Amino acid sequence: MTRLPYLLASLLVLLSSFVVLGDEPSGNEPSKDQSAQNTASKRIDYHAVRGRQAITTSTGLYEGELHLKLQGKSRPQPMQQFGPHWSGDAHMLWDGLVNEKLITHFDVEKSGRYRLSIQLTKAPDYGLFSAHLNEKEIAEAIDLYAPRVELAKLFTIKEITLQAGKQDLVFTLTGGNEKARKYRGTGYLMGLDFIKLVDLDPPKKIELASNQPEKSQPELPLNQTQVHFEKMQPLLSKYCYRCHSGDDPEGELDLKQFASTADLLANIETTQKIALALQKREMPPEDEKQLPELQHKQLTSQFNTVVDQYLQSTHTLEPVVMRRLNRYEYNNAVRDLLKLKGDVYPLPEKVIRAARPYFDPATGQLPAAILLGNRTIGKNQIEKKILTGVSPFAIDLQAEHGFNNRGEELSVSPILLESFLKLGTSIVNSPEFDGYSELTETLFKTPADKSFDQQVEIAEQRLREFLETAFRSRVEESTLQRYVNFFAFELKRTDDFSQSMKNVVSGVLASPRFLYLMEQVPKTEKEYTKATPYELATRLSFFLWSSIPDEELLRLAKSGELSKPEVLEAQIRRMLEDPRSQALSENFARQWLRLDQLITAVPDFERFEIYYSRLGCEQWKFGMQMMVEPLLLFESIMVEDRSIMLLVDSNYSYRSDELQAWYMNQEQFKKRTNRGRFNVFQQSYRKQKLDTRRQGGVITSAAMLTMTSGPLRTQPITRGAWVLTVIFNQPPPPPPDVVPEIEADDAVIEAQGFTLRERLEQHKVNQSCASCHAKIDPLGFALENYDAIGRWRDTYQSGLEIDASGQLFGEDKFTDIIGLKDAILDHPEWFMKAFSEHLLSYSLGRELEVEDKPAVDRILRNVMADDGQFSTVVMQIATSHPFLHKSKQTKHPSKQSKDN
Amino acid sequence: MTRRPLDRRTFLRGCGASLALPLLDGMQTQGVAAGKENSPPTRAAFFYIPNGVVQSTWHPTETGHNFKLSPTLEPLAPVREKITLLSKLDRIKVVGTDGHAQASTCWLSSAAPDELSPAGYPLKTTIDQIIAAETGKHTAFRSLELSCNPYEDNKESVYFDNISWYGHGHVARSLRDPRAVFDRMFTVKNHQAYASVLDLVKDDAKSLNHQLGQLDKQKLDEYLYSVRTVEQQIQRVQKRHTEIDKMNLQPPTQPWQAMTRDEFIQVMGDLMILALRTDMTRVATLMTAPERWGTPLKVDGVFDSPIQHHGWTHNQGNEKVRKDLERLDRFHVEQYAQLVAKMDAIPEGEGTLLDNMIFTLGGGLSSGALHIYTDLPTVIAGSGGGRIAMNQQLKSTEGTPIANLWLSMAQLMGVKRDRIADSTGELQGLLA
Repeated sequence: MTRLPYLLASLLVLLSSFVVLGDEPSGNEPSKDQSAQNTASKRIDYHAVRGRQAITTSTGLYEGELHLKLQGKSRPQPMQQFGPHWSGDAHMLWDGLVNEKLITHFDVEKSGRYRLSIQLTKAPDYGLFSAHLNEKEIAEAIDLYAPRVELAKLFTIKEITLQAGKQDLVFTLTGGNEKARKYRGTGYLMGLDFIKLVDLDPPKKIELASNQPEKSQPELPLNQTQVHFEKMQPLLSKYCYRCHSGDDPEGELDLKQFASTADLLANIETTQKIALALQKREMPPEDEKQLPELQHKQLTSQFNTVVDQYLQSTHTLEPVVMRRLNRYEYNNAVRDLLKLKGDVYPLPEKVIRAARPYFDPATGQLPAAILLGNRTIGKNQIEKKILTGVSPFAIDLQAEHGFNNRGEELSVSPILLESFLKLGTSIVNSPEFDGYSELTETLFKTPADKSFDQQVEIAEQRLREFLETAFRSRVEESTLQRYVNFFAFELKRTDDFSQSMKNVVSGVLASPRFLYLMEQVPKTEKEYTKATPYELATRLSFFLWSSIPDEELLRLAKSGELSKPEVLEAQIRRMLEDPRSQALSENFARQWLRLDQLITAVPDFERFEIYYSRLGCEQWKFGMQMMVEPLLLFESIMVEDRSIMLLVDSNYSYRSDELQAWYMNQEQFKKRTNRGRFNVFQQSYRKQKLDTRRQGGVITSAAMLTMTSGPLRTQPITRGAWVLTVIFNQPPPPPPDVVPEIEADDAVIEAQGFTLRERLEQHKVNQSCASCHAKIDPLGFALENYDAIGRWRDTYQSGLEIDASGQLFGEDKFTDIIGLKDAILDHPEWFMKAFSEHLLSYSLGRELEVEDKPAVDRILRNVMADDGQFSTVVMQIATSHPFLHKSKQTKHPSKQSKDN
Repeated sequence: MTRRPLDRRTFLRGCGASLALPLLDGMQTQGVAAGKENSPPTRAAFFYIPNGVVQSTWHPTETGHNFKLSPTLEPLAPVREKITLLSKLDRIKVVGTDGHAQASTCWLSSAAPDELSPAGYPLKTTIDQIIAAETGKHTAFRSLELSCNPYEDNKESVYFDNISWYGHGHVARSLRDPRAVFDRMFTVKNHQAYASVLDLVKDDAKSLNHQLGQLDKQKLDEYLYSVRTVEQQIQRVQKRHTEIDKMNLQPPTQPWQAMTRDEFIQVMGDLMILALRTDMTRVATLMTAPERWGTPLKVDGVFDSPIQHHGWTHNQGNEKVRKDLERLDRFHVEQYAQLVAKMDAIPEGEGTLLDNMIFTLGGGLSSGALHIYTDLPTVIAGSGGGRIAMNQQLKSTEGTPIANLWLSMAQLMGVKRDRIADSTGELQGLLA
């Protein structure tokens, strides 16, 4: 067991929150039931947490083609061909016969007085309309005829009172101007560009959360006892030695080897494992003599205290191994270094392919509607050529329980080096490069003075600055000269300044100084030292942007100011408000949720035909639309600085109309045939209010529920393992070698009169399986109300009852998924801790170790104090001890034994 | 089920018409010319099948020359005289890492079970790379790593997807795209294009060394190793430039995503044969698919709907499932047998290319049902230049480490070592 030391240690904290520690049993501990009730009534509504207020209120602009509900014959129409005047370059187009109606609606968040404007389009075959808002006539006759296509005069109502909620807007076709041409000889058209609402009583801007006084921090339990080995030894002897000593001890663990506290400290990983096994009551096993309650607590507490003592005395820091940029980071780094207008190559990593930019945290508001091409329908976007002759290298795979940014798993093989060399050359030499890079006019520009010496001197000036950006550090004179010499050599060869500079840049892009995140080894005796300002700038930019530091960060690194806490904090806030922070969604969230797995999910075509749609001659996966939903929820939490607890349970979600119909199992959707069921080009994802807690959050997202299922049935154990890993950061150990056989089709199981749950429970082979599955299975069974493609079901196909009840970690009982969500909300520290750990591990590019425990504890306290506000999590991580420091890279003491 | 007859003689399918057998026949390999006694060099290749095989239908019944091919090995009948079946070869499983990840990652490992890398795997330089360090002195490319992994999700980590490692943490990542393989091997101008910046980055890398910590230095060594390898490649490809141009090879035109399973494996196999035949390299590995990866897989012509190889292995108590698995095992053996037959159809020296090969079929698991590492499925085709006793089933004594086979193989390939991983000696009975 070498992969789990940190996780083991971290479990201690979680478990200790409901195990009383210390020598004396506490007399006034409230009963379990009471405390459960207390927390339930105290549970806060995490939707109220919002650190960043919207600068533009959501009661703003409603684009006809985007925000408004398309009903009947309404459809979006691009309008660029008619001029640049249409908002969003498109409007909603409708056609009908006289007396037919265009019906649509929009939502208003707050009741009050508004100014309402409606922008319509005029054209030769457009009709005459009346308009009603909430059944009240607002216009009697609007004539949309014009000899050519143009915008109508803005229709405005200076003041109107609206109640919060849905507003019905109806246009009735009453006829046509006599000059107007009939559309298709029978009716008329209408075009709606946008509706605009201005709140006449705007809310006062609320102070940013960062300016609020610090809240009191809830204390997490700590073990404060002394270790008395002489008290532990008799207990070990009585209850443990029988199996764990002698020539062939169980689990190769000989407890007699420990004769003192020092022995336990010297074998800290084993000590942790013992502590955990005790705490989780895995040991002694059920069929062995059990420790009396008081002794159990004492022994557990003593082992925990040894772990704490170790942590207090240790001054080591797990080293971060220098790591190569992965494919996503390489793209961003080159894009920002060469100031490109877009990506270097198309990236499948970018799940969300927006029609136009929408992610702008500075606005404090993710737009209520977003026009996207998704994984399936954005296929053209992913296949489009960006720079001729430039192709990406192979994607780096994720670590088993982590991310694809760990040094030890990111190597440079000869093939990859060839790729980098080829990339560097092909990028700068691609025919589209000039003009795609802003540096065409600066770095690459041929100077007026054509003398050789002068050109080399100018190149040196330019390279001095460029190399600092590329290498994220002060550039030594010798390094600069190496590149200048290369330039001079190339200039002699080609007699072309621009080409020579391009050749230098292709070298820079393959240099280890560019390709690796590397830090200088501190010249000191200390085990760790502060990262230098340049190193800190680089850590920050790769954490938050997956890219190189920008000019401002480099300037602050150069002056050293970045090391000042207040400057650092301000920079973290600035970086979070920069659109580049979308990298956290594209790179972190996608991997954290393991969303890639949806790509190859293949629900059985006959049983789940609805998952597919035939377009032309190809069968598309309709279900790919699901992939976007959890990411947009994540982005809304980021942009609006909401609580991460919404990832567990949110009352809103971003969905296309089709995806919404999917969840609601709506008749309208069902009736559509498999052929051509969805819009191929783009989909508008709207913020939808959810009226049931069966939906909302990532656990009950159709994406997760589908990708963890097999073709013919759900896989509760896979789902449970996903929840344990993603939501609680407690990945279960690898499955044992004996994996029981279960039918792949639940119809076959149900035909025997069993539910899948009953079938799985028959198959728990032995005690060693049971202890793990007691943790995994309830989390999966709780989701049995969702079928293999994520839709709610009340019973199984055969009519058998679904049993979704269970216990979370053997403590909180629940009867269904809402109960499970409640249990998670009642222990917010579990998810907040897990999420913080995932993000910390991502930010450091390494696995967490036992030495990181104090840092995690500290992060968690502050995150809890702010109810899980997103920016707090980031701020705490980016100012944590392991993030600000680097190790001397002497080998990790606990690992030395393995490296002989 | 409909089974499409597999075309045994198809060579370099999808690679264009100009790549027919006669062209290759007429071509002189550099090895022949460069070899010491004018004999063709010995080459080693490895063909990996994941997730184990159905035991009852794999193992042949009689030992020695009288062996009877089992139902799964039936497709090897036409090349029976040039194969060696090996049984009772084991690896010792180390607890603490996933059974599948360790199977692929450590199948060819030279680390003993008690030599654990920080990630917990008994993983050091793999045997193919140990051989490549020797044979690579003579060829343009040290080694060739190929994979027919068709999965586009990123479900599993690097340990499930690779069998070749330069060293721990330094994976020799395989190429999945036949076009990329072709370009790398045979498109000379690709190599020349970036030769000039190579010196620049090498100097840059070297100047870094003194500033780095111990672990980082190891990482930088990987980079420098790659720089040196690429440098050599460029020089050596350059040397053979005229010869390669004369071959007038056409790259594969069909994208691999559009290939059926058998086409994909055969095209990759053809590229491997081409590289070995032309002595661009003497060591190659080919993974038919990665370990575990519970992603459904289409095997056209064999199964009507996508299959779940890994899921099936844990379900083989069910007779229908086991029958399906047997068919899949047989499909893999057929693919191997076709490549063997192709090698045997290429004349070289006094005999054929196959005669100068040590072409191993195998996997890191025997039974996938229980993740068993004993009695690993192992077949060798070719005699390594007449040095391996073929046409036999060689049953080793109980508990023989597969490292003994790797040791013998390494020695046949010219590596001077007397121990690899947990080897206890050369493999008895292997040599002619």
